[in-house]
Amino acid sequence: KREIKMRKLDSTKVRPLKSEQLLRIEDHDFALRPGFGGSPIPVGIDVQVESIDSISEVDMDFTMTLYLRHYWKDERLSFHSNKNKSMTFDGRLIKKIWVPDVFFVHSKRSFIHDTTVENVMLRVYPDGNVLFSLRITVSAMCFMDFSRFPLDTQNCSLELESYAYNEDDLMLYWKHGNKSLSTDEHISLSQFFIEEFSASSGLAFYSSTGWYNRLFINFALRRHIFFFVLQSYFPAMLMVMLSWVSFWIDRRAVPARVSLGITTVLTMSTIMTGVSASMPQVSYIKAVDVYLWISFLFVFLSVIEYAAVNYLTTIEERKQLKKRGKASGLYSIDAVQAMAFDGCFHDTDVDMDLTGFSDRCEENETRASAASISNVDTPRIKRKRSLKGNVGRIILQNNHVIDTYSRIIFPSVYIVFNFFYWGLYI
Amino acid sequence: SHIYKKNHDVTKTWRGKTEQLLRVDDHDFTMRPAFGGPAIPVGVDVQVESLDSISEVDMDFTMTLYLRHYWRDERLSFPSTTNKSMTFDGRLVKKIWVPDVFFVHSKRSFIHDTTTDNIMLRVFPDGHVLYSMRITVTAMCNMDFSRFPLDSQTCSLELESYAYTDEDLMLYWKNGNESLKTDEKISLSQFLIQKFHTTSRLAFYSSTGWYNRLYINFTLRRHIFFFLLQTYFPATLMVMLSWVSFWIDRRAVPARVSLGITTVLTMSTIITGVNASMPRVSYIKAVDIYLWVSFVFVFLSVLEYAAVNYLTTVQERKERKLRERFPCTCGISHSKTMMLDGNYSESDANSLAGFTRNQMVPEEEKQEKMVVHLAMSNESNSSRNRGLKGHVGLRIIQNTHAIDKYSRLIFPGTYIFFNLIYWSVFS
Repeated sequence: KREIKMRKLDSTKVRPLKSEQLLRIEDHDFALRPGFGGSPIPVGIDVQVESIDSISEVDMDFTMTLYLRHYWKDERLSFHSNKNKSMTFDGRLIKKIWVPDVFFVHSKRSFIHDTTVENVMLRVYPDGNVLFSLRITVSAMCFMDFSRFPLDTQNCSLELESYAYNEDDLMLYWKHGNKSLSTDEHISLSQFFIEEFSASSGLAFYSSTGWYNRLFINFALRRHIFFFVLQSYFPAMLMVMLSWVSFWIDRRAVPARVSLGITTVLTMSTIMTGVSASMPQVSYIKAVDVYLWISFLFVFLSVIEYAAVNYLTTIEERKQLKKRGKASGLYSIDAVQAMAFDGCFHDTDVDMDLTGFSDRCEENETRASAASISNVDTPRIKRKRSLKGNVGRIILQNNHVIDTYSRIIFPSVYIVFNFFYWGLYI
Repeated sequence: SHIYKKNHDVTKTWRGKTEQLLRVDDHDFTMRPAFGGPAIPVGVDVQVESLDSISEVDMDFTMTLYLRHYWRDERLSFPSTTNKSMTFDGRLVKKIWVPDVFFVHSKRSFIHDTTTDNIMLRVFPDGHVLYSMRITVTAMCNMDFSRFPLDSQTCSLELESYAYTDEDLMLYWKNGNESLKTDEKISLSQFLIQKFHTTSRLAFYSSTGWYNRLYINFTLRRHIFFFLLQTYFPATLMVMLSWVSFWIDRRAVPARVSLGITTVLTMSTIITGVNASMPRVSYIKAVDIYLWVSFVFVFLSVLEYAAVNYLTTVQERKERKLRERFPCTCGISHSKTMMLDGNYSESDANSLAGFTRNQMVPEEEKQEKMVVHLAMSNESNSSRNRGLKGHVGLRIIQNTHAIDKYSRLIFPGTYIFFNLIYWSVFS
């Protein structure tokens, strides 16, 4: 059987040579930079930022994904062409030619993406100009200052430098000056507003190895306050306002006012612990700390205020009884106050002595009900009007003067504090 | 026909390849320089870029540094008229001999490799080599928390050659104590870095011999401010809040009990919060001492009120028994009868006929009250035996129990005293 081999004429194929032969790879020593032994080779850099993935306060770093492009000229790679068109190769040729060894100073972790193949591009022009592009994700350190957290602005920068070649061997520069840095349109972070991207360059000195060119990608981030207002400021404010409710409650309702004060203190404490959980443990005070601690102080003072009111009320009562002088040991307390003291429900006024209180509420109740159902229709008994006006007035004065003043002082001082705080930090 | 144009590159002076230049093909990278002869001295130089993190729970630290080696290999010497060095990147490293330095007690480490391996090789004409790389290493550090958070930790990073003993490779700090440099802005949020210094020693392994070991030591002092704000201050406030209970009337049982209990609960929460970020050590830490003593104070204030309450009940029962011996309306024990009106009564309260009228009481209530009046008056004598004289009345007028009075002074005094001792011992 005769095999017929048909030779297809492929009009797109111009060069039947392999790229290695074309670029003369065997002669190319990748360990030697272009212009080895002579003047430094200029390498232009161009960056397109794809995204800023995350900013971590606890680690004080940021993660960025970018396209990094290098431009340089290597005569060893020039090839003959009459059309002056470039040739594009993928990443596997990189291992055989010389490429600049740019690294990110102060980076913690970084990698070149390698799905589906290494995200590397090499484009060679006939005259030897090379464009080398990579897609990289890098986590770099950013020193953050939290003294105005969460009303703060952070300045971070990503630094590029050559590892081995100092200023005498490789000159790193921004290819288009300040316009070398471009960003995707929809680059955005949930917690921050990205104010501006800018490019700058400088020189860095290492005592053992000399001067190196360093390029900076600078950006400023302004934090969005809304989340913290909703999460921390607003609950703290509500707790302080809740503690003011205690001044409007009758001072004889002791358990009510005490538990109101204590529970607001506990909630403020919980809010403060919650804020510190996601923050680094810095040694200075942050703006949010100032607010939460002063609010805590207000809440604490409302508890102290009620302790003072209660103590003074007790002293006043004692004075009144001494004045009456009767060792009768009996005085009447109205139902509210009696309830306040012993927690048992009384539907009519109670006869109490000053040292004792009901140890059995049921006993009280049964006796009361027994007393009330008997003798419903007895004639009236004339009551002795031995009480005079002024004693009655003192007893009827349910509001202590401290409470009256507190109702005005606490809210106004808190409002003044708020004015100062927001005026200072915004 | 193909025309090859040869570009004349004036910048290119070396036509040979590196391998030819450095005679790499003849270079056997498995054999160290002066193999079989004296030990080769390798100088080490370190520049610390950053201390990334210190972890108490794992008891380790993470550091990023530039590690530089200096040695002399005659096989790499090349003729040169200008005496200038040649710089190469990392790919040549695989073909020549390099020292095999590793970090003793390291948990994880890697050489950064973006965009290429962060390695530099610089060869001088006389064969001197400078080999530099950028490494991040996480190493163990034994921490002692008995004075936490007023503590200072000393950690060290140790370098050693893996294969070559003292007789083959001598590792030394190139510039003595100045071999260790740090970036200016090296700082940690929680610690103050006190000093970096270098030492060197010999380490003995029973199976393999003596090795040179280099140490990078640094001392970290913890900043106390965060813990003051987060732990000490809330604990102190809770203790002060528990003292409020001594000023409240002892008849307010629910108030004082809930005050005491809630402060105990908050102290317990603070204690749990501190231990969440700490390793589980078997000794007591300084912060534990403070929190537990504060917890005891708060606990004692609850017990104090239980004592006051109990003693008051006992006292009252005694009084009741005392009164029952006298036939008077006191039999209707004071605390057990229902009183009628909200007015303060200055008359003989036991003479139930003499109750003042509260003008603001509505009609039905007055009716009810009068009923009770009558009921009571029917049950008892109208004349009151004034057998109970001054001392009972005095005791009754006395609202504050003696325990409360003393507690108001003792508790704050003892707590302040404890604070003075604590801060002077630990600061």
